[in-house]
Amino acid sequence: MKNLHDVWRIRFLHYVNELQKYLKYVFTGHLVIVMVFVAGAAGYQYSEWLKTAPSDFPGTWLVAGVIGILLSFSPPTTLIREPDQVFLLPLESKLMDYMKKALSWTIWSQLFIALLPFIVAIPLLKQVGNVGNVTLGAVFIFIVLMKFWNVHVEFAFRWANLGKGVWGDRFVRALVSIAVLAAIFTMNPMYCALLIIPVGFYSFTWSRQKKRQPFPYEHFVRLEQNRMLRFYRFANYFTDVPHIRGSIRRRAWLDIVYRLIPYEKKSSQNYLVFRTFVRTDDTFYLWLRLTVLAALGTAFIGIPIVVMIFVGALAFATALQIKQALSSSSEFRMDMLFPIGNSARSKAVVKLVRFVQVAQALIILATLLGVGADSMVMYVLPIVVVVVSEITIRLSK
Amino acid sequence: MNVLDVNSITGGYTRKPVIHDLSFSVAPGELVGLIGLNGAGKSTTIKHIIGLMNPKDGEIRLNNVTFEEDMDKYRSSFSYIPETPVLYDELTLKEHLELTAMAYGLDEVTLASRSELLLKEFRMEKRLNWFPSHFSKGMRQKVMIMCAFLVDPKLYIIDEPFVGLDPLGIQSLLDQMNEKKKTGSSVLMSTHILSTAERYCDRILLLHNGRIRAQGTMDDLREAFNMPLATLDDLYIAMTKEQDHEELA
Repeated sequence: MKNLHDVWRIRFLHYVNELQKYLKYVFTGHLVIVMVFVAGAAGYQYSEWLKTAPSDFPGTWLVAGVIGILLSFSPPTTLIREPDQVFLLPLESKLMDYMKKALSWTIWSQLFIALLPFIVAIPLLKQVGNVGNVTLGAVFIFIVLMKFWNVHVEFAFRWANLGKGVWGDRFVRALVSIAVLAAIFTMNPMYCALLIIPVGFYSFTWSRQKKRQPFPYEHFVRLEQNRMLRFYRFANYFTDVPHIRGSIRRRAWLDIVYRLIPYEKKSSQNYLVFRTFVRTDDTFYLWLRLTVLAALGTAFIGIPIVVMIFVGALAFATALQIKQALSSSSEFRMDMLFPIGNSARSKAVVKLVRFVQVAQALIILATLLGVGADSMVMYVLPIVVVVVSEITIRLSK
Repeated sequence: MNVLDVNSITGGYTRKPVIHDLSFSVAPGELVGLIGLNGAGKSTTIKHIIGLMNPKDGEIRLNNVTFEEDMDKYRSSFSYIPETPVLYDELTLKEHLELTAMAYGLDEVTLASRSELLLKEFRMEKRLNWFPSHFSKGMRQKVMIMCAFLVDPKLYIIDEPFVGLDPLGIQSLLDQMNEKKKTGSSVLMSTHILSTAERYCDRILLLHNGRIRAQGTMDDLREAFNMPLATLDDLYIAMTKEQDHEELA
C-alpha cells in the first residue's frame, strides 16, 4: 500500500465484493417479483390519475419538495474502519486525498435516489405543469450539482460538529435545495442568482469550521458500522447473514398472543418462535411495514385488479421474508439439542407465518369496512392475502 | 452399565480429522475431566457427543442408544453447558427456564420446585424478568447452568465451566455437581484449569493432538508417567514435552 489512494482502492473493492455477495441473493430472490408487481400497479394507477389530474395541481412544487428532501439526505460513505483511528492518525494531512474519492463515490452511488423520482415525474411535469424540455434539462443538471453540494456540506458539517445536529443541517439544506429547484422551474435568472448567496455561504461556513477540528474518527466509524449493519439486516431477510442480531423489545401488550400456547412438550418451539417474532424488531417491524402498506393500498387504490395484485404481492413478500428470517440456522441455538424432533422448528415457523398472515388479512378487512368500500369484489382481498400466503408457505423452502 | 460409551470415534470439520480413534466411557455417578490444551480436540469431542457433529468412524452410545437409533431418548439423556453462554436475547430468565422445562417434558409443578431451588442457589431470584442483554458474562453462564440442572438428566456435559463465574458461582456449581453425583448422575467436564480438575474429578482423560494420551484416576496417571508425587500440572507438561520430542524425532 503506497498511499491513501491505494487504501481506498483496496477497501472499495472489498466493499463492492461484500455488497455483491449479498445483493445476489436479494435480487435473485422474491424482491424482484414483488417490485415488478408493485411498480406495475403503481404505474397503472399513476397513468390513470394523470388523465384526470386537475390543471392547478402544484406539480413543480411537489417535485422540488420531494427531491429537495431526498437530496438533503446525503450521508457520506467513507469506508473508514475502527483501526484507522490508530493507523491513519499520522496521515491526517493527506486524508482529503482519500475523502475526495469517498465523496465522489457517495455522490454517484446516491444520485439515483433523487433522479428516479424526477424521471418518474416527467410526464406529470409536462402534462400538468407545462414544463418544457429545456427546463427539464436544466433541472436534471441542477439535481446533479445540488447532490454534489449536499454531499460535501453534510460531510463538512459532520466533521465540524462531530456528527451532532445533522437533522438541523439537513433541514436547512432541504430548504435551500427546494428553493434552488423551484427557482430553476421558474427559469428566472434573478431568483437563481440570488440563491448563490445561501448556497455559497452555507458551504463556506462549514468547510472553514471543519479545518479547525481534527478528523472525528469515532463518529465516522460509527456511521460506517451502522450503515453496514442496516445493509446486513436487510440482506438477512433474503439469506442467512452470520452474526446479525436485531434489537429486542418486550412489547408486553402483545403477551396475549403467547397465552394461546399451552404448556406442553410439543409446543415448546411455538413458545420460542412466537416470542422471537414479536420481540425482535427486524421481524416485527417488517410485518408491520408491509401490512400498513397493504392497508394503505387497500384504502387508496381504487381499481380492484390493481389493488389485488398489490396486496397479493405484499402478502407474498411478508410470508416469505418472515419464514426465511425465522428459519435461519447458521448459528448454534440451544433448541437444536432439544429432544423434540428436528422438524419442530419449521412446523412452528409455518404456524407463526399462518397466524400473522391471518392477522394481516383481518387488518385488510377492517380497512375495507373502515373506508366503507362499496364494491363487493374488494372484499375478496382478505381471501387473496390468506391464499397467497398459504401458497408461499407451501412452495418456499 | 455405562452412561456414555465412546467407541473409537474419528472426526473433524473437514476431511482432515481433528480427533483420532477416541475411546472412553463414563459410569453412573462419575465425574470425568476432559483435559487438554487449546486445540487439543476437547470441544470437537463434545460436539460429537451432543450430536452436533457426526463421527466419520466409530460409535457413541448414550444411555444405551445411539443418536440414529432413538434421537429423542439420546437427547433427553444429557444436558449441555457450552463454553460461551448461548442465550435467547428475546427471552427473559424465567422464560429460558420455562422453555427448557417444556422441551424436556417437565410438568409445571416440577418446574416450579426445581427452579426455586436453583434460583436461590445461584442468587438470581430477583432477575426472573430480566433479558440477557442486562446480564454480565457470569450471570449468562449461570442461566445456562440453571437450565442444564433443571432438566436433571443422566449426564451433564460441561465445557469450560469455570470461566467467567465468580468464586461463589464456582462453588455453587461444584455443589450442584456433587449433589447430582450422589443421585447417580454423571458429569463430563472439559477444562484447562488443572488444579480444579485434579481436586474434583474421579477420573481424568488427557487429550493431546486429538488422541487420548492417558486416562484414569490421579494415581493411575502418576503411575503411567512414573512420577509418584506429581500434580496434574506436572503430568500435563511432561506429556506435552514428551509428545514434542516424539514429533521432532
